[in-house]
Amino acid sequence: MRLTETKPRRKGRAVDILLILMMVLPLVAAMVLKILFTPEGTGGVEIHGAMVYYAQEGADISQVISGALIITEAQINSWLVMISITGLCLFLTHGLEVHAHSTRQHIAEWIVEKTENLIRGNMGEFHLYFTPFIIAMMGLSVFSSFTSLLGLFAPTSDLSVVFGWAILVFFLILAAKACCGPRVFIKGLTADGPVVTALNVIGDLATPVSMAFRHYGNVMSGAVIGVLIGSALRGLSGALLGALGEVFPVLQIGIPGVLSIYFDVFSGGLQAFIFAMLTMLYVGGGFPLEDWLKRHDKKKQVAEQGA
Amino acid sequence: MQSQQIITVNLWQIVISLCNLCVLFLIVKRFLYKPVKKMLAQRQAQVDGVYEQADEALRKAEADQAAWAEKMTHAREEADAIIQRASENAHRSGDAILAGARSQADGIVRQAKEEARLTHLQAKEGIRHEIAGVSTELAEKLLGREINEQDHRNLIDAFIDEMEDSRGADQ
Repeated sequence: MRLTETKPRRKGRAVDILLILMMVLPLVAAMVLKILFTPEGTGGVEIHGAMVYYAQEGADISQVISGALIITEAQINSWLVMISITGLCLFLTHGLEVHAHSTRQHIAEWIVEKTENLIRGNMGEFHLYFTPFIIAMMGLSVFSSFTSLLGLFAPTSDLSVVFGWAILVFFLILAAKACCGPRVFIKGLTADGPVVTALNVIGDLATPVSMAFRHYGNVMSGAVIGVLIGSALRGLSGALLGALGEVFPVLQIGIPGVLSIYFDVFSGGLQAFIFAMLTMLYVGGGFPLEDWLKRHDKKKQVAEQGA
Repeated sequence: MQSQQIITVNLWQIVISLCNLCVLFLIVKRFLYKPVKKMLAQRQAQVDGVYEQADEALRKAEADQAAWAEKMTHAREEADAIIQRASENAHRSGDAILAGARSQADGIVRQAKEEARLTHLQAKEGIRHEIAGVSTELAEKLLGREINEQDHRNLIDAFIDEMEDSRGADQ
């Protein structure tokens, strides 16, 4: 009796440990990579983008806009964060029971239900299939931003990464608008005259750009302010304690951590939420529900007549 | 190790990031959303089942209660009927017993009266005989001769009747 009771639990515990390792190890690996490849600092204020781990031959890294294949810290950290999130998902849903006993099951249910409620409020009952996408988007954004708490380069402070998400959202908005056929889509754009049409097109195109720059700018500014404050505190401790402060910058202990609660945790979480909210609002607002329902009814009638 | 500029847009990085989000969407859907929704559906089904069971139990209980109430009213009616029947039986048998007793008593009384009458008649006859005998003997002794038995009896009878008549007139 006892054996049969403890055996599955022990097995479950082993799986749990593996999953926790799956969550933690990628982040540790990212930190190790960062430590191994960070060039020795000059001591001055250095603000730059992601480190480039791999570049196509002949690629010019200093170019602002480029089409060359480059793998940077941002991509590596994104993938590691994705592995962590996968581990977290598996951990939360491991051993789901109808009668919930575990905290993690409550957390998993909470995530799904809260996101569903958000979608219900912002997009309507009809778009509940968006739930996993919004969860994935928020999770990736939040965890990417939070990697800066570990001293890593946050993937969200790379414009290309956020721009990729924004372009995906742009496609989703287009798909929502065009789901009733091109006629409804073009009618929606050109209904109010040529000037408004031009504005509509510009607005649609500007949506992903503004979303990407908002998210990127907020996280990046946090990182920049973190660097600036760090160097400022270093200088200040040097001024207060002389040579000792130069070698051992006392003021750098603690104070940047407090500030990072705002610049990394709050700002990162808020930007993830805003990004997801805007996605929901744009997709939900772009979807012509009335036209779709009309079309749906018509199709139904045609099918009934055919039958 | 080189670093990028702080603002860069790289086509490959954009494509990789877009694919990353798509892949994570599939991962979350497969490993978080689906299992949780499945579990919630199971829970809903279980809750529905429990509610259904409760409803069924309630219905059954109500039906039982109704059946019992009906049974109770039936039982009361039955009991009333039994009591009525029993009391009727008791009345009837009591009446029969009473009638039997009365007729028996009447018979006894009638028999007693008859006996009394017979005894009375016997006694009367006996007395008459005795009186006749005595008077005959007396008359024989008195007259010293045999008289006609029959004549004599008739005479005495007439006398006794006369006596009875006069007593009846006295009374």
